[in-house]
This record gives sequence, C-alpha cells and structure tokens, in this order.
Amino acid sequence: MTRLPTDKLQAIVGRFPTTRDEDWKYTDLTRARDISKRWLDAGAAAPSPMFVDDIDRITGSIDATWFVIANGELQAVGDTPGVTVTKLDQAPNADSALAELNAALLIDGLGIRIDGELEKPIGLLVIDGADDTSVSQAYIQVEFAPHSSGDVIEYHVSYGAADQYANTVVAVDIGDNASAHHVRIQDRARNHVQTGRTTINMGRDARFAYAGFDLGGGLIRNDMIVNIANPGADVSFDGLYLATDGQHIDNHTRVDHRVGPATSRQEYRGILKGKCRCVWNGKAIVHEGADGTDADQANHNLLLSEKAEIDAKPELEIYTDDVKCSHGTTVGQLDEDSLFYLRTRGLDKQHATQVLTRAFAAGLVGRAPVDAAKETITALMEDRLATLIQSDEDFSL
Amino acid sequence: MLEIKNLKSRIGDTEILRGLSLQVNAGEVHAIMGPNGSGKSTLAQVIAGHTDYEVTDGSVTFKGNDLLELEPEERAREGIFLGFQYPVEIPGVNNAYLLKAALNAKRKHHGLGEIDAFEFLKMAREKMAGLGMDPKFLNRGVNEGFSGGEKKRNEILQMAMLEPDLAILDETDSGLDIDALKAVALGVNALRSPDRAIVLVTHYQRLLDYIEPDFVHVLSQGRIIKSGDKSLALELEERGYDWVREAANG
Repeated sequence: MTRLPTDKLQAIVGRFPTTRDEDWKYTDLTRARDISKRWLDAGAAAPSPMFVDDIDRITGSIDATWFVIANGELQAVGDTPGVTVTKLDQAPNADSALAELNAALLIDGLGIRIDGELEKPIGLLVIDGADDTSVSQAYIQVEFAPHSSGDVIEYHVSYGAADQYANTVVAVDIGDNASAHHVRIQDRARNHVQTGRTTINMGRDARFAYAGFDLGGGLIRNDMIVNIANPGADVSFDGLYLATDGQHIDNHTRVDHRVGPATSRQEYRGILKGKCRCVWNGKAIVHEGADGTDADQANHNLLLSEKAEIDAKPELEIYTDDVKCSHGTTVGQLDEDSLFYLRTRGLDKQHATQVLTRAFAAGLVGRAPVDAAKETITALMEDRLATLIQSDEDFSL
Repeated sequence: MLEIKNLKSRIGDTEILRGLSLQVNAGEVHAIMGPNGSGKSTLAQVIAGHTDYEVTDGSVTFKGNDLLELEPEERAREGIFLGFQYPVEIPGVNNAYLLKAALNAKRKHHGLGEIDAFEFLKMAREKMAGLGMDPKFLNRGVNEGFSGGEKKRNEILQMAMLEPDLAILDETDSGLDIDALKAVALGVNALRSPDRAIVLVTHYQRLLDYIEPDFVHVLSQGRIIKSGDKSLALELEERGYDWVREAANG
C-alpha cells in the first residue's frame, strides 16, 4: 500500500473535528492535531515497538488467544480452531477525518472471523509507545458468524514520556443468532491521546454484552455506535471511567434502533477527582417503524472534588409509538442513607465513603461479561481507586 | 445506661419530639409503642445520630456521657446498635466485609487488635445458624435483593455479632412472617443480659409475645404519655391508642 503524500495527510489532520462541532463540543482535539502534525513533519516513521516485556506480561496474565498490534504493526497472530484471520489492507467507511486518517496510515488491518463456539477469549492487545512523538492506527474487524458465540478482550495500553496519539477503529459484526461478549480495557499512559471508534452491527436475534473500562489515558474519546437493523437484537453495555488530575475521558454512544422488537440498555459510571473532565453523551434513536423497542440508558457520576467536571447528556429521539424508553442521569455524591447506615455500624465517615466509592465502581466490574478478564480489571481498578479515594485532602463528601 | 431528658427534636421546620424523657437501665427491655407519626422512629434515629434531625432542647446521656456530642460511628463503637426499620441495600459491599469492618472498628476503639479471619468466620456461621440464615448470605451484597424478612434477620445478625450494650430495634417486627418473627425474637432474647438494655420500637403487640418487655411506653405527639408493664401492651392491642391520648389530654 502506498501512503498518501505528507501534504495530503496534513490536510486530513487539518479537518479533524473541533469544539465547534456539536458532537465534539466538550472534547478539544488540539493535542491530537499537534502530535499528528509534528510527527508528520518529522517524517512519520513507524517506531519500532518498545516494551516487549509488557507484551509478554499482559498476554501472560489473561488466558486468551492473543493478537498484538504494537505501534500499529501486527506483532502476533493467534491461532485457534474456529477463528479465521485475514490481514486487511484498508479500513472502509472513511466517513470522517479520523477514519480517513486511520485508513490512510493503516499498516496492518486485522480481520477475525469466529465460527462456532469459541472456547477461549480472543485477546486484542493494542500497545503503543516510542522514544519520540508517535502516531499509530489500529483497525480491527471482528465477525461473528451466524449462531457463533465467543468472548473478546480489547486491551489498550501505552507507555513512555513522549507524546503519543492512537487512533483506533473497531468494527464488530454479530451474525444472526450469534452471541458476543466483549470487554475493553483502556490503561494508557496519563499523557497520551486516543480516539477510538467502535461500531457494532447486530444481526437478527443477535446478542451483544459489552463493558468498557477507562482506567488510564490523558485525553480519551470513545465513540460507540450500535446499529440495530434486524429484529430481536439484545444489546447491553456498561462503561466505567475513573479520572484524576489532567485526564479527559469522553464517552459518546449512539444506538440506532432501525427495526423492532429489540432491546438496548447502557449504564456508564464515573468517579472523578481533582482537575479532570469527563463526558457522557448517550444517544438513542428509535427510527420510524421500530415498534417494540425497549431502550434504557443511565449515567451516574461521583464527583469527589469541586474541580472535577462532568458533562452528562442523554438524548432520546423517538419516531415511533410502540416503544419503551427511559434514561436517568445522576451527578453527585454518595447515597446519604447508605453512608449513615455504615456509620451506625461503626465505620467512620472517611472509611464509609471509601467503601461506597469502591462499591460503585466494583458493581460494574462484577457484571463484566468476560470472566477471564475480571481479575485483571479488578486489579487495575483497585490500584486506580487507591489513589482516587485516598490521596487528596479535598476529600469532602 | 441511657437517660433522655426533655428531648426536643425537629426535621426541617417540623417539630417531632416535644419534650421526651426516658430512662433505660442495664438489664431492662423497654417497648416503645404508639400510633404512626408519634415520633418513634425519630427517637431511634436521634439516638443513633442521624444528622437530618436537629436536637433543639434536652439531653441524652449514655453511660454517663453526653451522647449528642458523638458522631454516629462513635456511638456505635461505644455500644449503641440501631436495627433499621428499612435497612438499605448496598450492592458491591458484601455482608462479610461489613460485619468484619464493623467488628474491627469497635475492637480498635476498645484497644483490641483485628479479629482473626478464622475466628470471624466461625462466629458468623454460628450466629447465622442460630438465626436460620444460609451462610451464603455472607458473600452477598449488604441486603442486596433480600426479602423483607431476610433484611431484618440480617440486622439481627449484625447486632448479634457486635454485641451492643444498648440495642434499639426500630419496627423490626414489621412485615415479618411468623418464622422470621420467631428467629428475630430468638436473636434478641439471646442478647438479653444484666449488662445490656434493649429498646423495642413497635407498632404492634405481637412481637412482645416473644420478647417480654419490662416496661411499655406509649409515645404520642413526641412525648411519652403513659408507661406501664407488659399488660399495657395487651390493653393497647385491645383498646387502641385513643383512650390513652384522651386520658393524657384530659
């Protein structure tokens, strides 16, 4: 594949969304633009992967069939019965500047097709890190054949002090009556940037259970787009984000109910402390004729300090009558009744606060749809929570 | 053990307790009865230290110390236990964790080390068996998805583990079937001792068939308007509350 000339690539970067775009109102991509420009100016070299030990450590910690994309290059390809692997030259649907950049700079696209019942989870490790400013792309397509089922673990991680921008596109097609369990763990370095888009296409009577855990990262934007164009789909997804000083984590979700009956539910929870900002924008569109739709969305946030900021926005657009839709958003502090209850059992206020904060996050980990990943997620979450609920004097609940 | 003098308390602008006095000595079991809205639950919450209730007058001493000065957790560690009328569900915090954390908070307060994990489990299993609770409840979220009866048993389990000097049980009997009621009564009676006091807040006489009180008080409009022995409870069951109120007003 020949790469576009640098000026063309720079032009794509110049078309990145800005805060003037409604969908990007709260997330400023200036850092992603700057990193991309500098990297292109410097010759746009693909850095050789660092952190080989970390690859081994991570792939050794979860029993899965691992595929490793390191700085955009496919490093390891798993081999297991029922899984067909293809290298993809080009990401399709370059319908935005971010997708265009992904397509233009893609080194190795990864296609995975799952037939039958998977025994072990598929592990997708996207790992980045270089000595100098770097930009990487990942494009992963997962296809669940009709009647197939399996677990997928996406693990995004990055290392190093140098600026890094990762732009990932994941497309999941779930065939008729197939069942997919999917978790995404994001534990990138606190100074790195990622824009990630995940699109899910639901087949007839297909089931999709998902949970995303944003535990790291500097500037993170996730777009989750679910397309229900066949009846009988059952979609359920959770998201947890933990943010401290300097972090910005934006989760945008969009569920298109094009036909019914179908069910979708989502629940995102966030714990924020220090000077950080998180965004949750959940859009559900029930198109004309999508009778029998049941859509529910919820977003709950705990703000542990005054400097933390959350922008939470549910958006329901309903163009048909026979629907059940609900949404709920809370921004605030811990439940006073629970706090009092624990105190009457002898736990002091700070301890009770820690216990309840931990429980708020642990609830989503407990119901994560891929058991094999729970231990790792719990360990990462506990580690992050320890700093989140203990380190700041601004601990005023 | 507990001495309440002329206690006045309000929530927002509504005065609920209007000069309540009560003395509870070690070894005694008191039943506080009264119609809905008389202030029974408020009294329980004020003793436990709920911050929504403002104490505007009067005093409460516990073992000779000013109770109102203490935080809720300090009251608990000093030996006060409140069994809630509506125990909260706390998903994500398991029962075993809460029991252990509560026990250790109290032990630390009294200069003791943390309880041995083996000892803890042994004790918890014994107490649960006594209450007819399945040991698997230990690993469930606190009251998460529990039935009304299970929640109340769980309150009694916490009380049994913490062995308080003063237990206040707020409508612990409400919504219980006869088996659960008996189990709760068994747990309470097991705690009775010359060193402890128990205050039962209840709407009905039924619980008192199983836990025999030494004193029965009638609370109305934030004051105790009549006190007596267990026969008063039976009389209330038969005649209702109106005659007491009329006698008090007359």
